[in-house]
Amino acid sequence: MDAGMDFLNFLETDMSMKILTSLEDAADLARISSVSHTWRQFVVENSFWKRLCLRRFPQLVKVARIVEVNNYEVNEPSVGSSKSKEWETLEREHRAYAKLGGRCTSFAVEDCISEAISASSTDNFPEESILHTLEPKDVVGRRASYWSSKGQSDPSVPETLTYSLVSDFCIITEISVKPFKAYFQPGSPIYSARYVRFRVGHPKINLSLEIDSLDESSHDDKFIWTYTSQKFRMTQENILQKFKLPEPILCIGGILQIELLGRVQKQEMDGLFYICVMEHVSGFS
Amino acid sequence: MASSTSGSSSSSKVVKIRSSDNENFEVEEAAAARSETIKKLLEDVGDDADVIPLPNVDAKTLVKVMEWCKKHMDDVDELNKEEMKTWDAEFVDMDQSCLYNVLLAANFLNIKELLDQLTQKVADMIKGKSPEEIRATFNIKNDFTPEEEAEIRKQNAWAFE
Repeated sequence: MDAGMDFLNFLETDMSMKILTSLEDAADLARISSVSHTWRQFVVENSFWKRLCLRRFPQLVKVARIVEVNNYEVNEPSVGSSKSKEWETLEREHRAYAKLGGRCTSFAVEDCISEAISASSTDNFPEESILHTLEPKDVVGRRASYWSSKGQSDPSVPETLTYSLVSDFCIITEISVKPFKAYFQPGSPIYSARYVRFRVGHPKINLSLEIDSLDESSHDDKFIWTYTSQKFRMTQENILQKFKLPEPILCIGGILQIELLGRVQKQEMDGLFYICVMEHVSGFS
Repeated sequence: MASSTSGSSSSSKVVKIRSSDNENFEVEEAAAARSETIKKLLEDVGDDADVIPLPNVDAKTLVKVMEWCKKHMDDVDELNKEEMKTWDAEFVDMDQSCLYNVLLAANFLNIKELLDQLTQKVADMIKGKSPEEIRATFNIKNDFTPEEEAEIRKQNAWAFE
């Protein structure tokens, strides 16, 4: 029978690195960290969790500091005491990234928008509030359920809709937007936008955002955006338009903003351009 | 990459290599040159090379490595790909001490493809296994106290379901 040998003792570090780096599954990484002190130390010292997370979400390079500051619960009892400061830092990173890596493995895809925070403008509040964009039904109580911007004579004035997500950690893969078709107006115009763009980020300070200021102007100065997507072209159709992000985006901080760029539909009555949206759905894993 | 390999027998030039335990081997140059290290040495010494000493590789290991090099001497065409895959899988199926020695040799001799196959093989021995199974596979002593182990498991409880 083949006698097993601990290759960490036998091989050179870079080869052991190569072996363990090819473990792509976060669960494998978690399990090898609990094999022995030596194995755990190897995983911690060489920042395997961080590497795994960075491979998956390159944008973490920019937000790595925030992960530790905002979301790390301090002072979990550490394994083995009286270690150097450097080791402590590594171990803290290890735990933070392990936590993140662990969350990323649960691949339940569901809606991740939790609440509406604000719209850059609202024509009639509360009848045309951003709250309606989270309502899956098209008609509620015999009234169409949608959000409408204020009218603008300049079609290039953008609008933004800002939402909070269900968790501070969300992975967003796809966002859907359905433009509103005003069936009660002559010609049933569709108030779509020319382009749509998505941003994710986190609040600047940890204030609890009140929904009572829904029709107020932009909350932009209250957020820091860590990711901005490309511009996606919207079509002038009253259907749920899906925008698949080129790669899954990790949102730390739980804020999503939908930017609607370029107005296409003029309202006959007042000659102003509006954008109206019925519904958003997002996927996350 | 040379695209016009006109039959493997055409370049049957032979080079001599010597293992750490002083055994000499005669190997086709095309096979030996799969090793970047040997290739470089051959270029450096030119035709007046007598024997190339490989002080880090013992004879048993060198036989294995050269077996792989001979098989991988020519570019593989599409037809043989499947066959080659099977051969490779059987090749890396060796006992652990042999596996690590060949791995060390592949690293020293700088044969990237072989190194990749071997590290992948070891990784496959870890994948999907519980810490207990990993310990058993690699003969590792569990040196955590029960409290430490419970604490570590708690940190990543999701991975142990």
